[in-house]
Amino acid sequence: MSAESLILFFIVGAFLVGIALLFSSIVPPTSTNPQKAEAYECGIPTEGLTWLQFNVGYYLFAIIFLIFDVETVFIFPWAVVMKEAGIAGFIEIVIFFFVLGLGLLYAWKKGALKWE
Amino acid sequence: MLMLIMRHELLLVLITVILLLVEIFLPADRKQKIILPALILFGVVMILGFIPGPTGRLFGGMYITTPLTLLMKNILTVGVFIVFLQSVDWLKKEENREKISEYFILLLSTLIGMEYMLSSGDFLMFYLGLELATIPLAALAAFERFKEKSAEAGVKLIFTSALSSGILLYGLSMIYGTVGTLYFSDVVNGINGAPLQILAFIFFFAGMAFKISVVPFHLWTADVYEGAPINITSYLSVISKGAAVMILTILLFTVFSKVAIMWKDVVYVTAILTMTIGNLFAIRQKNLKRFLAFSSIAQAGFIFLGIIGQSQLGMTTVIYFVLVYIFSNLGAFGVVAVISNRTGKEKIDDYDGLYRTNPMLSLTMMLALFSLAGIPPVAGFFGKFFLFAAAAQQGLYILVLIAVLNTIISLYYYLLVVKAMFLNRSDRPIEYFKSDGYSRLGLAICIAGLVIIGIYSPIYEFINQFTFGIY
Repeated sequence: MSAESLILFFIVGAFLVGIALLFSSIVPPTSTNPQKAEAYECGIPTEGLTWLQFNVGYYLFAIIFLIFDVETVFIFPWAVVMKEAGIAGFIEIVIFFFVLGLGLLYAWKKGALKWE
Repeated sequence: MLMLIMRHELLLVLITVILLLVEIFLPADRKQKIILPALILFGVVMILGFIPGPTGRLFGGMYITTPLTLLMKNILTVGVFIVFLQSVDWLKKEENREKISEYFILLLSTLIGMEYMLSSGDFLMFYLGLELATIPLAALAAFERFKEKSAEAGVKLIFTSALSSGILLYGLSMIYGTVGTLYFSDVVNGINGAPLQILAFIFFFAGMAFKISVVPFHLWTADVYEGAPINITSYLSVISKGAAVMILTILLFTVFSKVAIMWKDVVYVTAILTMTIGNLFAIRQKNLKRFLAFSSIAQAGFIFLGIIGQSQLGMTTVIYFVLVYIFSNLGAFGVVAVISNRTGKEKIDDYDGLYRTNPMLSLTMMLALFSLAGIPPVAGFFGKFFLFAAAAQQGLYILVLIAVLNTIISLYYYLLVVKAMFLNRSDRPIEYFKSDGYSRLGLAICIAGLVIIGIYSPIYEFINQFTFGIY
């Protein structure tokens, strides 16, 4: 790959992005109203300010949810090859469960699951 | 026993799990008793690490250990042990008592991340290790989270590391795009200096430069170092930086070895910038934490002198310098930590007349600063001398000249602190106090390291035998 192709890469990249933006501003029919400028929540006009402090509990729950998420991602491939993986694979998945369970137990003990 | 190859990491994971279990099941009023067992456990792991064992590759080449990486891991582990010793006094404070085992767990997690990073044989593994080493650090920087500055430090650290990781990942994705693989052994053959690869390298280097706080990517350093609890600052500036320097050196010498022409100029310019700007800003600092932050930026510039040579000598000197740097900077930070924990004083002016009241602390600080500045009897001189020699061997005389000039500038501000302690008189000096045993042990190890490495040359030869054949 030479320097010209790299320059071409940038030019084509900028060009494509420019074209996309240009088309989306020319082609569609335009109708404006104040609701369109608002952040989309659920279709109903927003009430009050959005610059609020959120309860930190939401984040905690999201992080704890991640434990189970990762668990699923790893268990599916293991379940598919369970017979081939044999006893060694089983031991490994048990260790994995143990570490994840420890994380959950820690969060539980620290009261992260309590909603205040 | 294939898993013995990964013994360093597995042992650390084991202690982390044990500490987590203890944290879960121990009643709150007995948590303070965990410090000594945790230190002993970690000490045992540190000593076990020195026992020679098998080396090789695991997981299809994603994880590689060589005698060299084992040596690096051992150096880092010793450094972390000293950091642990120095932080006991701080952990025993009323407000930290509940979080003692969390402190150990988070710090050990970062160490595990660094060890995986050092042993990586694949960019993916390298990135995972890097993130594992960075994210807990942000939590640690915000450890005293009710202090505004500490929280600020945590937020700044997480933002800058997110930014730098993004840049680094972009570079890695371009490397993957041009080479089609992420394994180091295959990337070496695929890299030929194509323009896109040069761009990829610049992104990769910029990402790493954030972690090592090289100018012009250093702006987060001073604020984070000042705001974070002092033991975390010393960890950030010594262990975290040392590990990043080591892995950067390895990657430049192995993965990017065929395209040295591509990175030599980059390293050359950043080395000069880092040394000079780090030094010039250090002169103006009044707060000792900020002062040491800028001094550590300047030190990173000196390390680049060893990297640029791209020789076996360069590799040895980089490791040797990091080893010396660990002892000297931890010594200086140890003294600042002790004084800050007892009196809350962190300004250079507060140290006026310290020698009259606390002679031992002043002498330790003096030795550590002499080593940082590079004054002969202590190890820092040899560290710098070898770095300069490695650059001079490659005929980079202008770079060496600039480095020497910078050393002279650095002498000025290091000696300012020494002058404050020994010559200045003060009506209200810091009163005499007896520091706790753990801190004294930590400082004693630092001084022993500085003196022994300085006068006992076989250590250099010892490191040299490991670096043979890396390049």
